[in-house]
Amino acid sequence: MSDNPAPRDAGNWARPVDKLDLSGVQAGGMRLNVAGRHLTGPIRGFGQMWQKTYWVRLSGAPATPQEVITVWKAEFPSFWPKGNRFYGPLTGIRPGEVAVLNLAGPGGVTAPGETPVIATGIMVIYADDVSFSFMTPEGHILAGLITFSAFAEDGATVAQVQALIRTMDPLYELSFRLGVGHRTEDDFWQATLRNLAARFNVAGQAQMRSALVDPRLQWSEAKNVWHNAAIRTAFVLPGEILKRLLGRS
Amino acid sequence: MATKALETSVRRAGVVSVISLEGEIDGFAEEALNHAYTAAAAPDVTAVLLKFDRVDYINSTGIALIVGLLAQARKSGRRLLTSGLSQHYREIFQITRLSDFMQIYPDEATALAQNA
Repeated sequence: MSDNPAPRDAGNWARPVDKLDLSGVQAGGMRLNVAGRHLTGPIRGFGQMWQKTYWVRLSGAPATPQEVITVWKAEFPSFWPKGNRFYGPLTGIRPGEVAVLNLAGPGGVTAPGETPVIATGIMVIYADDVSFSFMTPEGHILAGLITFSAFAEDGATVAQVQALIRTMDPLYELSFRLGVGHRTEDDFWQATLRNLAARFNVAGQAQMRSALVDPRLQWSEAKNVWHNAAIRTAFVLPGEILKRLLGRS
Repeated sequence: MATKALETSVRRAGVVSVISLEGEIDGFAEEALNHAYTAAAAPDVTAVLLKFDRVDYINSTGIALIVGLLAQARKSGRRLLTSGLSQHYREIFQITRLSDFMQIYPDEATALAQNA
């Protein structure tokens, strides 16, 4: 109710921030394209809006949805596919915390020294005991709201990733129209779910469905290309590759 | 903790359709919310007002549902308006950027006065 001073979800949501800062993020990685950036979300992207849902049934695992989410939050980086790194908040995945992402390119391609090619980030905007959600900052590939959840269904716990996304700018949209972006995104989350299932000793088969929510392009957001994290990362990549090859990172 | 499934009712006020929401907006609200929006989106309706006065819980899946409604509304050239949001939910609309595209009014009367 509007006159209720403390709704039940009050502690689950992040407070509004003007710009992101990295003060609470663990050390390491290319810390680019996050500090000083605004959050975007699917409202502010350029490309078509998609809702993509990926899930895996943890058949035979005794873990409850709450236990799955506890493990998922605590060990989040370990479930990511090879070549991608997640430098999480020092205090764990909690509302308002920020993380640095160093991502491989399409098809899991990295630069020499297994150097990720896109540096960006996320902010945790929501977390409860059966779900948590990230939003992305300017420059990220996707303007999105991504929710990780677990629930009981037909006697098994199901782990799910649901992404409501638009590509951030025309260049990223082009890669999605060519199919490369979609395939990379789909492979990424399905591999993540298989890794999560393996953590619970389940050889899970990740599944997915996608729906085109809004086919229109938002041309007013084409200017987002100015913050394109892939382009900006490319400028510092040679130095980063050298550091890795010389063992300084 | 007891939860309250979302209930909706739809009525017309000139060119605005008003959807009153009561209960919780989470993943279980999808059918009720989409059904209400479909009923509200008559051809001559230029704006749809979502009344949040009696909503006492929204999670991130619920916010994603509202983003989906906003996309539907914009696709068909309608405005999506809100009223009755508490300060807490105003902040959620701010951080999720919903407030960039949804006009927020303190109450139904003000919303209708400015959009009828």
